[in-house]
Amino acid sequence: MTRKILIGGIGNVLLGDDGVGPYLARLLDSRYEFEDGVEVADLGTPALDLIDQLSGRDAVILIDSVDAKDIAAASGTVFLYRKADIMRYRPSVRMDPHSPALVDAILSADLFGVAPADLLLVGIAAEGYDAGCSLSKLVKASLNHAIAEVLGELDRLGVSYRCRQHPTELGIWWTTDEAVETTVAT
Amino acid sequence: MSQRITIDPITRIEGHLRIDVEVDNNAVSNAWASCTMWRGIETILRGRDPRDAWLFTQRFCGVCTTVHAMASVRAVEDALKLEIPLNAQYIRNLILIAHALHDHIVHFYQLSALDWVDILEIPKADPTATAKLAESLSPWTRNSRNEFKAAQDRVNAVASSGQLGIFMNGYWGHPAMRLSPDVNLLAFSHYVQALEYQRKALQVVGLLGSKTPHIQNLNVGGVANAIDLDSASALNMDRLETIRLLLEEVVAFVNQVYVVDVCAIAAMYPDWFKIGSGVKNYMAVPDLPLDSAGTAYDLPGGLIMNGNIAGVHPFKTASDKEFRDAVSEDVAHAYYHGGKALHPWAGETEPDFTGWNGEQKYSWVKAPRFNGQPMQVGPLAQVLIGYAQGHPLTVKHANLAINKVESIGGLHVTPDMLHSTLGRHAARAIRASMLAELAQKHLQLLTDNIAKGDYSVHNAPVFPGHEVEGVGTHEAPRGTLSHWIVIKDEKIKNYQAVVPSTWNASPRDASGAHGPYEASLLHTPLARPEEPLEVLRTVHSFDPCMACACHTFDPTGKQIAKVKVL
Repeated sequence: MTRKILIGGIGNVLLGDDGVGPYLARLLDSRYEFEDGVEVADLGTPALDLIDQLSGRDAVILIDSVDAKDIAAASGTVFLYRKADIMRYRPSVRMDPHSPALVDAILSADLFGVAPADLLLVGIAAEGYDAGCSLSKLVKASLNHAIAEVLGELDRLGVSYRCRQHPTELGIWWTTDEAVETTVAT
Repeated sequence: MSQRITIDPITRIEGHLRIDVEVDNNAVSNAWASCTMWRGIETILRGRDPRDAWLFTQRFCGVCTTVHAMASVRAVEDALKLEIPLNAQYIRNLILIAHALHDHIVHFYQLSALDWVDILEIPKADPTATAKLAESLSPWTRNSRNEFKAAQDRVNAVASSGQLGIFMNGYWGHPAMRLSPDVNLLAFSHYVQALEYQRKALQVVGLLGSKTPHIQNLNVGGVANAIDLDSASALNMDRLETIRLLLEEVVAFVNQVYVVDVCAIAAMYPDWFKIGSGVKNYMAVPDLPLDSAGTAYDLPGGLIMNGNIAGVHPFKTASDKEFRDAVSEDVAHAYYHGGKALHPWAGETEPDFTGWNGEQKYSWVKAPRFNGQPMQVGPLAQVLIGYAQGHPLTVKHANLAINKVESIGGLHVTPDMLHSTLGRHAARAIRASMLAELAQKHLQLLTDNIAKGDYSVHNAPVFPGHEVEGVGTHEAPRGTLSHWIVIKDEKIKNYQAVVPSTWNASPRDASGAHGPYEASLLHTPLARPEEPLEVLRTVHSFDPCMACACHTFDPTGKQIAKVKVL
């Protein structure tokens, strides 16, 4: 049976390094091809709609920026979080009902019995979130590392993929910056 | 001695809603609504091609994506005086309706039902009695004992694990919770089912917009959908049939479950028809245009001032001159430089962060005003304005809901009672059932028009040499949304978005008048001020959407909202 796998980039492409998730999702989609059942998606900032994205998948890999100021990590550092790491945090009191909701979405998916068996969050420490459509230099420099982590997770899951001979259109329409070259071979 | 309570989600980089209330003798005596971060995303649009603006505005908010896309293309079309083909109107309308149905279902079940439903009472429920009760309320076929038993088992599993999971932050056992165990189980079972039906609504958005959450099919002048009855990849009769079947299921859920649940909860909390009124100035813009030029609409707009329902004043068009001229934004209590209130086309956004000071500046949200007055927007505004004008569809669905509440609760419901926290929930459900009916109507209009041989979807925009201004509006799930654009030399010179939650969450203005959230909280009784469930009920009834703009994972786990009592 075809396994259903999501590689989802999360973030706001209008707020600097927060756009790294969508950027990476589009880069991966353009440069690599994956076995049937793998969906690569730019999810934007889905808040609780993330429940829909998680639901019914066998495995989910999320790519998101990480606000690392408080843990003093250098911009561009790549972190990996498994479900148990993420679930150490409590869900929020839903004051503004659409605030970011990763923990809430996972807990809801658990309650509804639709959560993926495998969940990995690949986080890239951001330098800044000022309004603007460019990634910072250090975050750009870390993209190939993050790609390697995503592909490494696919290896671990036994999911096949390969570099496309002819990359498809990149579709990173929000910036005129030159696209990052991918160097991770398959 | 008054008590000060702050509810502050203290998330990291997003702007979030913060509420401060003063409590005297267990009732709210003063209130402040503020947003905790400046976004200023509009500045990104300056200098760009107006034809691309919708792609960017669609990213303003991750949940309200399509509404900002739609308001943007409408703003450019208004500036260019550009009409769009009928097919494009119908396709856009269907996307807007399906998105709104998704949004209203999610809001009620995922985001506010648990303000009224006590999860920890569910283990005491009797699924057989719940099924009997449910059958007396609705013909919904999934109101079976087995469904209720399965839902109860889910709660039992969570409750007995000692880890409350998604429910760990609820105010369970709070004295303001008053539903019987069986009604709690009934509502919770529908909370689980709602996930399936809101997803079906989203599938409709995806089938027409080619992708969710970010639709791909818009352009200035119409839509990019290819209509070809002989092509498998284009919009054809098969796809229209798929949409029809999906809508049928969503419509049944709205009418047989969502509306009934809201009516049942309302009937069992009658005192909440007297709480949460606040600002009784209401505004809605007409929407769901029925012709190319946008002169006739399926949803009416207008104004009601000072709660005078009989004195309703209609807006003729979605970019009515009266509306264009009357909107201004005041920054007396917002963290921006500036003196007098400015019209959005002349809007300035110069940050002046001073820190929270309730007497002076305390919010990143500007205070939009209509002829200087604060206005409440949202489903309640729309339903009251339609009802007051005798709009047949609004009257029909409002009366159905009112009769339902009366038959369940044995109370007499008057239109004046809708100025309340429950009124906002009831109006949203009424609006959903109106939209459900309109979804089927607009699908039929589209199908019939295509069957006539009209495949046209786009009129090419022509930009004049001189500077032009436009406003694009949409009566979004949270109320009146307006995008204001100034175009010069085919480039964007200025762009401002006045979003529904800005109207409702606005701070005080220069005259000291409260915004709608603030005013609605005054006099609210609090059973336990340290557990301000009643404040959440009223704030949630507006369906706030402040800050889905930015989303990162915080490794220090600071996303815990804090309730601070001083």
